[in-house]
Amino acid sequence: MRWPSRRRWLLGSAALAGALAPFAGSPYRRASSGHGAQRAAGAVDVAELARAVADEEDHVSAVELAAWIRAGEPRLRVVDVRTASEFAAYHIPGAEHIPLERVATARFADDETVVLYSELGVHAGQAWVFVRALGHRRAYFLRNGLHEWLDDVMSPTIAEDAPAEAQAAFERVAELSQWFGGTPRRLGRSADAAAEQALRARRRGC
Amino acid sequence: MTAPWVETDTTAGALATAAAIGVAFGVALERAGLGSARKLVGQFYGTDLTVFKVMFSAILFAMLGAFYLAQLGVLDLSYVAVPETWLVPQLVGGLVFGAGMATAGLCPGTSCVAAASGRGDGLAVLLGMFTGVLVTGLVIEPLRGLYESAARGPLTLPGWLDLPYGLVMLAVVAIGLAGFHLAERVDSARAARAARAAGGAP
Repeated sequence: MRWPSRRRWLLGSAALAGALAPFAGSPYRRASSGHGAQRAAGAVDVAELARAVADEEDHVSAVELAAWIRAGEPRLRVVDVRTASEFAAYHIPGAEHIPLERVATARFADDETVVLYSELGVHAGQAWVFVRALGHRRAYFLRNGLHEWLDDVMSPTIAEDAPAEAQAAFERVAELSQWFGGTPRRLGRSADAAAEQALRARRRGC
Repeated sequence: MTAPWVETDTTAGALATAAAIGVAFGVALERAGLGSARKLVGQFYGTDLTVFKVMFSAILFAMLGAFYLAQLGVLDLSYVAVPETWLVPQLVGGLVFGAGMATAGLCPGTSCVAAASGRGDGLAVLLGMFTGVLVTGLVIEPLRGLYESAARGPLTLPGWLDLPYGLVMLAVVAIGLAGFHLAERVDSARAARAARAAGGAP
């Protein structure tokens, strides 16, 4: 019997491996079952979520979100998970309201980038876990919630004696802020700015 | 036991792993003949499809390998980082990269291979590449608008097409094999023409 040439053998192997692939199932599920994890539909891949958190791929900053909104990022959905009355009182421009208890039944298309936010970020972080558990991978939450939005986008501040690099960065944020109707402010000295930061930190409750 | 087996939390571990992978990559490129500028430029002019065949076979091999190793529980795919897609800047970058590659006849990997084998053009491309990196870093501010546009997040074909992973694998393998077949036909037709021309010459 004549063996096929090495090239034919390789091409044939690739064709066979490709033909069997649709019947092999998801590689993610099988890899996790090796660790004994239970993964039914809608179950959480804890290792993957933990890694996303460790790599800081789970959240965006308020300034990043503002830049996305201003750039008209296609397929971006900003989701406010607070109560209806809180949403009515104030929300991020363009945001839609899906309260936390309804996040589990919300539908997000695969190509949509979902940014969740709440008052301080905790509820949005929990909602992020729900959305990821439902299989949507392009989900983020606003790190420190609406407070970060109000502080860093709507009323950003900088000390007048801040280094040139920080000043340049502030210029960009200030421009972004004005686009959203915010009021960027220059504070007198670093000490005033530090006091302002401390006030904001206390307000955030950290 | 599940990959990755090498602990790369330390800088030394990461550098050692990167060096080993880099050397293996260079050896593979050199063995495939891609250290030759003629072969690389031939791809752009359609006169030599070696680059296409080498790259597509590498893609198929890596894709099938990763898929089945994950199925066997040897590789945990959630460890594999999926780089983010920034559509417009990546298209622009790809065009600049392609123009540079067609002009120089070398890509970053093969320029290292060429430089390591003592060729002046390889060294020149390496120098140009690092100059380009430096200049881009210096003028990043005016480019930031472009740089941060059209973000699509970490995108994979199964996620984007909303199709089962295995089905996408089958499609990519089919496209790859069809591409090989076509490339072989084009190359052998050209070789036959060249042979006829050589035979017909006085």
